[in-house]
Amino acid sequence: MSEAGAEAGPGPGARPEPEPSLATVGLIKAFGGVTALDSATVTFHHGKVNALIGPNGSGKTTFFNCVTGMIRADAGRITYRGRDITGKPPHRIARAGIGRSFQLCRVFPRMTVLDNLLAAVRPSGLAGQLAGAGKREETERARSWLARMGIEHLERAEARQLSWGQQKLLELAGVLMSEPELVLLDEPAGGVNPALIDRICELVRELNAEGRTFLIVEHNMDLVMSLSDHVVVFDRGRPIAQGPPSVIQSDERVLGAYLGV
Amino acid sequence: MPRDSEAPLPAGEASLPASEVSLRAGGTQLRAGETPFWAGRLPRLGILLAVVAVVLSFPSMAPSPYEITVGIAILNYAVLSTSWNFVGGFTGYISLGHGGFAGLGAYGTGLLVTKTELPPFAALFTAAVLVAAVAVPVGYAALRVRGASFVIVSIALVLILLLVFQSWSSFTGGSRGLVVPRPFPGMLRAEHHRTFYFLFAALLAAALLVWWIIDRSRFGMGLKAIREDEDKAQSLGTPTYTYKLVVFVVSAAFTSLAGGLYALWFGDLDPVFQFSILSGAYMVLMALLGGVRHLYGPVLGAVIVGYALEYSKVEFGDTPLHLVVAGLLLGVVVMFMPDGVIPAATALLDRFRKTGETSIREVTAAELRERRGQRNGTEEVRDSERSGSGSGTGTGSQT
Amino acid sequence: MPSASLVFQSVVLGVLLGGLYALLAAGLTLYFGVMRVVMIAHSAFLILAAYLAWYAHRETGVDPLLTLFVTVPLFFAAGVAMQRLLLTRLRPATLTMMSVLLTFSVALVIEGLLGYVFSGTQRRIRLDYSSAGFEFLGARIAAVKLIAFGMAALALLGLYALMKHSRFGQALRATIQHREAAQLLGIDTDRVAGYGFGLGLATAAVGGTALALDTTIYPSLHWHWIGPLMAIIVVGGLGSVPGAAIAAMTLGMLQSLLQLELSTTWAQTVFYVALFATLAFRPQGFFGGRLAQRF
Repeated sequence: MSEAGAEAGPGPGARPEPEPSLATVGLIKAFGGVTALDSATVTFHHGKVNALIGPNGSGKTTFFNCVTGMIRADAGRITYRGRDITGKPPHRIARAGIGRSFQLCRVFPRMTVLDNLLAAVRPSGLAGQLAGAGKREETERARSWLARMGIEHLERAEARQLSWGQQKLLELAGVLMSEPELVLLDEPAGGVNPALIDRICELVRELNAEGRTFLIVEHNMDLVMSLSDHVVVFDRGRPIAQGPPSVIQSDERVLGAYLGV
Repeated sequence: MPRDSEAPLPAGEASLPASEVSLRAGGTQLRAGETPFWAGRLPRLGILLAVVAVVLSFPSMAPSPYEITVGIAILNYAVLSTSWNFVGGFTGYISLGHGGFAGLGAYGTGLLVTKTELPPFAALFTAAVLVAAVAVPVGYAALRVRGASFVIVSIALVLILLLVFQSWSSFTGGSRGLVVPRPFPGMLRAEHHRTFYFLFAALLAAALLVWWIIDRSRFGMGLKAIREDEDKAQSLGTPTYTYKLVVFVVSAAFTSLAGGLYALWFGDLDPVFQFSILSGAYMVLMALLGGVRHLYGPVLGAVIVGYALEYSKVEFGDTPLHLVVAGLLLGVVVMFMPDGVIPAATALLDRFRKTGETSIREVTAAELRERRGQRNGTEEVRDSERSGSGSGTGTGSQT
Repeated sequence: MPSASLVFQSVVLGVLLGGLYALLAAGLTLYFGVMRVVMIAHSAFLILAAYLAWYAHRETGVDPLLTLFVTVPLFFAAGVAMQRLLLTRLRPATLTMMSVLLTFSVALVIEGLLGYVFSGTQRRIRLDYSSAGFEFLGARIAAVKLIAFGMAALALLGLYALMKHSRFGQALRATIQHREAAQLLGIDTDRVAGYGFGLGLATAAVGGTALALDTTIYPSLHWHWIGPLMAIIVVGGLGSVPGAAIAAMTLGMLQSLLQLELSTTWAQTVFYVALFATLAFRPQGFFGGRLAQRF
């Protein structure tokens, strides 16, 4: 695998040998007669910004849902940093350090912005469970994430009152509040204005520089190519190409898949 | 009509939740640590104490034992709907089968007293533990799949229990009923009612306290996240299934206590009334009418519906029309005020004193960058942002 | 040990009963398919139709079967109205839960009105052919039961043909399987869902008339039906009509056989046992996957 670390952006990725992050072997998922994932074997790189692209219906969202435990794969193995997470329920996968956003942004609509973040706190033990939500330290942490997204002035508003772009930022803040090592973003730029796209890109770069791994599903090719270190292309439920953006951009199979040749 | 003397109780309770709403804002501010702690709490505490005083002094003000029995019935409804609200309010899962847990608690208590000669109140708590144990497999089956099957199981629970308790007459007394001996044999009728009035009030206080503790806890935050979006809650690491099951069992236990206390008070059980879909429906109606998101919502609903039920029982006797009224009322609540009268009333109030304040606005990336620059210097950005919100609005990226 | 002829008789009765269950469960499945709604009032409408048949027969002496010409269109219209005027106005986010309450409240209203208008007295239609019957391989079968089964079977076949071969049926199936995709194909899914609801309620009209032929009816009888019916649609896999039909036949037969050894009430618990077992061990249902929606 030719991994050109110098290719993209300010990632910390000067390491020569990429450490595997999320990886799948022979992942299969069929809905009725339709095969959404057809023996997908992929590896994403720890500490990098990974991207998963492909035409509509190529199985990207199904892949997300399988690796986060939302739906159960029919066959195959999923590992995260060498640990088998196949068939684990979503909350265990989340606790293993994988956070995700949803394709059409999902926030808790009738909770305040601050509570949206506090809901991502994971208490442990009976005392921890029954302790009051919003302890000072948690609230401070939530506020700092909101501030980083630039929506801290909205902390008392109900999430449903926010604009689409603000909800996207809130969703991201909520995911980050749960302290994931690996962040899966499902179309972070979907339905967002160009200025906000820039902002989100900038955030991803910063967070990546701080050591978080990203896996992004996105249709906006400019964004993918400028942001990511490692790109995997899906077509009909399986990867057809993987590598750095420069290689992917000139790959014939990728062009074929997109242009339907 | 001696019924007039009851006015203090409903009126006193009814005035509470409206102020509760306006105080809620104070509560959140409190959490934000920007207002002194007593500013939000003091009036709230005052109202609470006033209501407690009214509730506790009611038996001595009541002109006859009849009024006390009405008070007990309403308190019983209040405990039941508050217990129901552990599941319905926090998780948004609507159970129509909580009548079954109340019936199990009643029969459990009654049977333990008659068959094992356990002391009445030991039987009450033993029954609650047993019902909680029954709720585990029920919840296991009901909560595995989301939504529809939960409702189906909850209804099936009542129907199956009715079948069993009617058919197994050698053990339960079947349709002949089960007579539960009074826990205080020497006590006069009026004194008996008075005692149980306070017991029910204590149980209500306990249920409200536990609901309040959960409401403000991290556990409660997780439950509310389930109500809002279960997938999302799970993806953030909340073990939703365990959470739902735990709160379901807690809810069943409190419902059982209410049923058991009723059995000790009333002394006569009939499966048709104990395992009735209707009693479960009343719990839903009361909680929904009062507002499932509020601590006192179900209590308020219980006062309204419970009073109406007792009133119509006296005034119109037992006609099938009470089903029609209950059905229509439930339909109206579901269609027009699914959040209950408290939000409905506040929404109405808000319409009258609508301020021109447009609270939410979109911020451009340029502004964001600018603000981030500012933040490096000081933490006061939030306020300056607020004041500057006149300019640059409406750059919404909403497409 | 019951004799072989008794067992055979039970099997036949079970099949006859299962036919009615299958028709009614098909109705419930339709509602669930088009709207994701668990329609608690289904069996209340069933009893309402039975009352209408009984009332028409008592007042005018007409054969109860003739009331179908009135009740079927009437119920179809009521179903469409209920979907358009009530259910579509609920918030989509809480539709499943709130629709249960709404249909539950409709059931209460129907039960209350029936009790108010006709009193709680048990009613039964007496027909000249009520006692008629015949022997079939040693099993004695009442003619009315066979007629009831015939009606249910015909209605179910009609429904199947409609779903499978008509243009409307195609639109309905598309709506059930994937609402958004159906919309992209130019199907007016709201209208189709309304008609689907109407069709579901029409099954209650047919079922109620069939029920009135040989059953004693009273206003609260619908609770005895809704439990088993809901168990059937869960066991069959919510949303699968063939699954519901197979589950209906199987459970109807089991119930009938259990009645040989147990009392009627205990035999009814078979539905609930099946319901709990399904949810605990195979929540997607036994026949056709959950939301398999195949016809």
